[in-house]
Amino acid sequence: MKAPAFDYIKPRHLDAVFKLQADYGDEARLLAGGQTLLATLNMRLSEPALLIDITGIAALKGISLQGSFLRIGALATHSEIEASALVAQHAPLLSLAAPHIAHRAIRNLGTWGGSIAYADPAAEWPACLMALDGIVVVQSAKGERRIAAQDFFLDLYSTALAEGELITACELPIAAPDQLFAFDELARRHGDYAIVGLALAATRAQAGLVGVKLAFLGLGKTPLRATASETWLGQRPLTVDLLEPLLEVLRSELDPLADLTNSAATKRHLALVLARRGLTAMLNPGNR
Amino acid sequence: MMNDKHLIHLTVNGQARHCEVAPRQHLVDFLREDLGLTGSHLGCEHGVCGACTVRLDGQVVRGCLVLAVQADGRSVETVEGLTASASMKDLQDAFVARNALQCGFCTPGMLMAAAELIETQPDADREQVRQWISGNYCRCTGYQAIVDAICDVLASRKAGAAQ
Amino acid sequence: MELNGDIFIDAERERVWQALNDPQVLLASIPGGEEVRQLSPTETHVRVLIKMGPVRARFVGKILMSEVRANEGCVMNFEGSGGAAGFAKGSSTVKLSSEGRGTRLHYSAAASVGGKLGQIGGRMIDASAKQTADLFFKAFSAQLSDEAPTVAGAQQAPLSEQPAPLRSASRPEPAASPLAGEALRVLWFTLGAAATAFGFWVAATLR
Repeated sequence: MKAPAFDYIKPRHLDAVFKLQADYGDEARLLAGGQTLLATLNMRLSEPALLIDITGIAALKGISLQGSFLRIGALATHSEIEASALVAQHAPLLSLAAPHIAHRAIRNLGTWGGSIAYADPAAEWPACLMALDGIVVVQSAKGERRIAAQDFFLDLYSTALAEGELITACELPIAAPDQLFAFDELARRHGDYAIVGLALAATRAQAGLVGVKLAFLGLGKTPLRATASETWLGQRPLTVDLLEPLLEVLRSELDPLADLTNSAATKRHLALVLARRGLTAMLNPGNR
Repeated sequence: MMNDKHLIHLTVNGQARHCEVAPRQHLVDFLREDLGLTGSHLGCEHGVCGACTVRLDGQVVRGCLVLAVQADGRSVETVEGLTASASMKDLQDAFVARNALQCGFCTPGMLMAAAELIETQPDADREQVRQWISGNYCRCTGYQAIVDAICDVLASRKAGAAQ
Repeated sequence: MELNGDIFIDAERERVWQALNDPQVLLASIPGGEEVRQLSPTETHVRVLIKMGPVRARFVGKILMSEVRANEGCVMNFEGSGGAAGFAKGSSTVKLSSEGRGTRLHYSAAASVGGKLGQIGGRMIDASAKQTADLFFKAFSAQLSDEAPTVAGAQQAPLSEQPAPLRSASRPEPAASPLAGEALRVLWFTLGAAATAFGFWVAATLR
């Protein structure tokens, strides 16, 4: 189907964007990668009056090291993140997750900021952001503010972004040398929406894995950190002996939402499969 | 006014073009209808089937998920350009040799996608090839012949490079 | 898609029933509700703007009430069309029971969404339906606890704390009166007719 008629503008500066948003309200949509928006328009599921193309705004671009943080600009494409040496070094979880995002043609245009603002519960970046305790940097005409990942994803396709705000970048604490990361997702075909996925981070210590963080995608209305399980483990290092008990806690913590093709029980089962696989691989002394 | 046309300047298959487009028109409709380049096809028009795959600034994209106005100042390559450049002649020959096309509807998209794989991942194995082209749907061939053709080219290019 | 739940509302059963039948209360409660118009005591026309992520789809449809037991519950059959976006149909049962000074409202619904929204939104239908139901009942309860007891034309309480994409929309159209109001109107009409007739009689007598 063809998109409905709309106006198009490509401002050079954020101030112009904010002014346009104030003038048009919900009748204007931001266009970044367009991989979600344009599909929506092609299916006539939205008929905005104006598209504000933000891909010309330099302040939103780039991947850079800023002290102890890696700053990834909102307009960084999935492919740029996939290919980035800085990301491979300082946020390797993202390098592991990137190839799972849709297909190459989508990754070449789709953006980091777009994915996080859209907050699809089956998307890879929101779960990675949660696993890394990243920070979302947003800006509006009133200025800039920072929102912790755990406070950002509120409900289905709903984030803490207020009207007139857009994501300019996210900041990720850089990986320490003894940190381990894993990412996996289960889908019927590569590139499908994940049935369930898991972003894992942990620190390798003498006695086992400490500070294990599990962030799931595809289980609920938002990406989910398994905080109860993480708290149960507490300061104790995760060893092979503690794995099954941890998974039992995880099984009772997870309360997935069913979708059209998978029951809640299936999702819970698959989540545990991913957790077991990921943690076992991390615990294996031969690993990395 | 809504849908006022925008003047865009872009390069298509190496040729400079200056055209007026309505904002709502996506890139593949522009290529097919305004420029007569009907090699790129439309299947689902929401980014999943891959029939519309073209190159924008050297990277494969879904032509149905790019607006023509967004191609202003950029370069586009379609399957017509790919053929003219002969940069993937071995791939096109392999498709014929392996019977990797029947109706041909998915073929231009397959060729564009495969070309990027061959250029960026020359060491891809069969599994990686399958993953890469999983974004291009084929209703006729059952895919195996397409994968065979791509693997043939990867192997022969590698062998050629080794000599 | 199937959905059920229950909610405690801090208002008496009669008031809750009245509110459920009040188009203006309904309009203010439905996330994205743009128009609620009562066509008959059992048929209500609805227009809703659904905002979910990037989607902005307008659905126009009707709700038919049946098995109406005043102050206790009813069955509602609904169907709506979203144009290119698709269509929705289903039915729900609402039951009210007194609980202390308030009311326990139990609802169960079964719906199918077809067309584009069903195909691509399908994986999210259950979750978004639940979210919509939650928002509806939150707004509905808020109105019942904010307003002073009135008959028809319930006041719209301001709806705070909704996630940004699901703001409730514009001014409602002047709505037809709900059941109780209808009876009142008939009464006034009759009185008016009687008064007019009396006036004529007086006038005729005085001439």
